[in-house]
Amino acid sequence: MKTKQCSAEVFASFGQAAEINCSSKPEFQRSRQLICSSFLVQKSPGIEMPKFQNSSKPGSGPHYVWEYEYYDDDEPVSFDNLTAHRYSVVIGFWVGLALFVIFMFFVLTLLTKTGPPHQENQDAFDRHCRPSSCMVDFRHPQASDNKACSQPLLDESHSLIHCFIHEEETGRTGEGQGQWREAKQCACSGLQQAQAKCKVERDTSFPTHCNIPNFVNSEYSSALGDDDLLLCDQPVPLDSNSLSSNNYHRTM
Amino acid sequence: MENITGVYANETDCREVQIPNEIFFTIAMVSLGENLLVVVAVIRNKNLHSPMYCFICSLALFNTISSLSKTWENIMLVFTNTGHLNSRGDSVLKVDDVMDSLLCMSFIGSIFSFLAIAVDRYVTIFHALRYHNIMTMKRAKAILSAIWAFCGCTGVVMVVFFHNVAIMMCFIILFVFALVLILFLYVHMFLLARHHARKIASLPGSTKHHNLRGALTLTILFGVFIACWSPFFLHLLIIMVCPQNPYCECYRSLFQIHVILLMSHAVIDPAIYAFRSAELRSTFRKMFLCSDSRLCH
Repeated sequence: MKTKQCSAEVFASFGQAAEINCSSKPEFQRSRQLICSSFLVQKSPGIEMPKFQNSSKPGSGPHYVWEYEYYDDDEPVSFDNLTAHRYSVVIGFWVGLALFVIFMFFVLTLLTKTGPPHQENQDAFDRHCRPSSCMVDFRHPQASDNKACSQPLLDESHSLIHCFIHEEETGRTGEGQGQWREAKQCACSGLQQAQAKCKVERDTSFPTHCNIPNFVNSEYSSALGDDDLLLCDQPVPLDSNSLSSNNYHRTM
Repeated sequence: MENITGVYANETDCREVQIPNEIFFTIAMVSLGENLLVVVAVIRNKNLHSPMYCFICSLALFNTISSLSKTWENIMLVFTNTGHLNSRGDSVLKVDDVMDSLLCMSFIGSIFSFLAIAVDRYVTIFHALRYHNIMTMKRAKAILSAIWAFCGCTGVVMVVFFHNVAIMMCFIILFVFALVLILFLYVHMFLLARHHARKIASLPGSTKHHNLRGALTLTILFGVFIACWSPFFLHLLIIMVCPQNPYCECYRSLFQIHVILLMSHAVIDPAIYAFRSAELRSTFRKMFLCSDSRLCH
């Protein structure tokens, strides 16, 4: 497709006594290259206006200069035989876009009402890998025997160490309760990681509710809009539900 | 002359919709101000030197560049219209080429920054414990350097080879690919968040409320992206596909409105990505209100 440059002033200034230049030389205008391929519909080769080609006398009034632009296909765009409204593409595009966005919103809202697809896997995991004899002492997160329940998995303990170190680095001076919560989350995650090793596939039925420790929430989820997307930043403790609902109340 | 205008100035023509320069200026200035603020805040606050905020800062930088080049173009257009500048001069055209390539670079860079932010959030959520190993600052810097280098080259290539249909098709395919990937990542994250909410069985009412808020956030994020970016890309597609069709012609006449939409996305971006972070907001407060030290605490 040829892209000859043209002047948008040609299009806009039809009927005005002004210098009309539409030459094959490029010209600076607003993002010229993207609009200029079309606005030469008014000029088609083969139509001659010899009277207006030149005003030979300088200073004798309006000075018209016609030059022709040529395209590969010479047919001008004709607006005569339009069956639909001329802005139908525009209207169709925006209506389609609006419908798509509304459809997406409804799909997302519907998803909130129906169950998640991997709910059964999650329940199966809970049944199989529930720790019965292995409890972590949440009150002393730094105690080394907290890791006694987990298998000696080097990367998980590294993660735990990073988790704790990060807590100190970010210098979170929350209350003791807050730190206790963080430590519990780190330990809970580590424990759940260990459990995940024993039977269940890691990816699908991993207890994702423990996969978002608070250190992530505190720093990153605020960029997601104050927990708009991350709705649960609380661990699901191994002992009771009331503890989790307590923590949920505290932070929500 | 009247005869000719009678022949050509047909009532069914779609004249190009002209938007006054003042509106372009205003939007460019507001966008510039907001995005510069974000960049300065991220640089000044040491707490914000993390991969997530680096990507947000990169997005703000690309938006700043696009606002600057749009402002520059406006100024040059004003000078051209008042006759101070020859619109066919070689130097003017060279400067125009530079501006166009900066614009292309910033557009592509914005898309890649959105993608980087989405991937970073995805890794945050789905690989939370290994996040600090996966997304180190070194890797984030490498990713950002790669993005900037790629966008710089692509901007130049696009302006130089603009007439080549293949290049434009690549641009459009890139956009569609980025769109689909971003949609996939965010929907997956949303599914996890909703799964989270189901674990909190004690408050079904507020769970539903929060789920609706999550759905609304996601819809706004994605809807604004699509609404601001796709008209422009459809314009590019239409130039290639149906340059002679009158309906396509009428769509193309709205080009300046589509550019305004692109620029307004640079205005909305900080509100969607940057200003939602409490840490950034407190940094702004400290920057503006901290003349009196009492206000800082």
